[in-house]
Amino acid sequence: MPLNIDLQQILLHWMNLAILTGVLYFLLYKPVKEFMVKREEHYRSLDEEAAAKLAEAERIKAECQAKLDGADEEIHQARAKAQQAIQQSTEDQLAQAKEQARQIVAHAQAEAEHSRDRVLRDSRRELRKLAAQATKKLAFQADPFDQFLDLAEEEDEHEE
Amino acid sequence: MKQHKKALAVWIGATLVFLIGALLAGTSARTESVQETMRDAVLHSVNQVSLFGWRAVNPGLISAFLVTALLLAAAVLIRIFAIPRFKYVPGKFQLVLEEAVGLFDRMAKGDSPHRCKFLGAYIFAAGAYIFVGTLFELLGLQAVTVHASPITLPAPLSDVNAAIAMGTLSYLVILSGGIAANGIKGVGKTLKEFSLPISMSFRLFGALLSGLLVTELVYYYVSLSFVLPVLVGVLFTLLHALVQTYVLTMLVSMYYGEVSERGEPKESKKTHTAQK
Repeated sequence: MPLNIDLQQILLHWMNLAILTGVLYFLLYKPVKEFMVKREEHYRSLDEEAAAKLAEAERIKAECQAKLDGADEEIHQARAKAQQAIQQSTEDQLAQAKEQARQIVAHAQAEAEHSRDRVLRDSRRELRKLAAQATKKLAFQADPFDQFLDLAEEEDEHEE
Repeated sequence: MKQHKKALAVWIGATLVFLIGALLAGTSARTESVQETMRDAVLHSVNQVSLFGWRAVNPGLISAFLVTALLLAAAVLIRIFAIPRFKYVPGKFQLVLEEAVGLFDRMAKGDSPHRCKFLGAYIFAAGAYIFVGTLFELLGLQAVTVHASPITLPAPLSDVNAAIAMGTLSYLVILSGGIAANGIKGVGKTLKEFSLPISMSFRLFGALLSGLLVTELVYYYVSLSFVLPVLVGVLFTLLHALVQTYVLTMLVSMYYGEVSERGEPKESKKTHTAQK
């Protein structure tokens, strides 16, 4: 053959290359590539995990913001409700106080009425008593000396 | 400082002694002329090596087996001792390995995104073989020819049989990609590039052989054996190891991607009319 080309040697070179390709694939290429893929997946999973955590944090932040916004409204409503309750309570107390005052006045009036009746009754009794004494005096004519003394006492009382 | 100066003086003195010794000793009588040496570097018709006593083969085949043995031994050691200790934050060695695998993997994925698993494995092995095989000549390992004369083992691909084997195997890999993806159509697509195995084989052979011939020429004359081999032997070898690795793997992955690409299904007349 020209150039010393030898088919047998070419076939031996092929065999050599086939062995080299196969063994290098199993011993080096495949394991190194697998390791690289594994590392890539590891970092991708870390990345995804971080992204998921970030999304979760964003969601929580949005929720908190919404809660904060809602809290303002809630505080406003609670304040209005409290004011309403205070107003109601004030009105109730006022009504109660009015009622009490009315009762006190009614009670005082009744009391006064009762006192007036009692005084009137006592006065009438006193008058009756005086009338009876006067009648008795007129009827049984008292001693002139005593009359004189009585008149004198009365004059002293007037002077005083 | 004084010690450094002393060491430098000793080193320069030793170099000069060796140089004078080499010049005075001269060379033994050449068994072959430079023309014969160059001719044999190309054809390997004289300096053949016995393959385990079975038959005489070109020294390139012995180099090929040695390169494969070296690569496999390294692969076994790396598999046993380095890969199980890989970390998510890589060290220097891990980074080099990952970069080597990643380089060919990316090349395969980039040129043939639809079918790249086997291609990646093949160009990784071919790349490692060409790179290490080209650097192998720097080791200057000696073998004994069938005529009992010593010979420096050359780069495997400077042997025409090795270059043809690499070129044709690469073509077969491309053909297999075409068949796996497109069946008979893939065969047609691959056969269109009928010049590919020849061009790939002889490009490799020419590139590696030219390096070998220049090295042979330089080492043939003692006067050229100083300083120059540093450039010729190391820098050129390193450079064309990288270039040849890149060229062959890039060509294989590009053609593989081209022939294994699935064509768009032709629209039938009915669908075309229905669309109208």
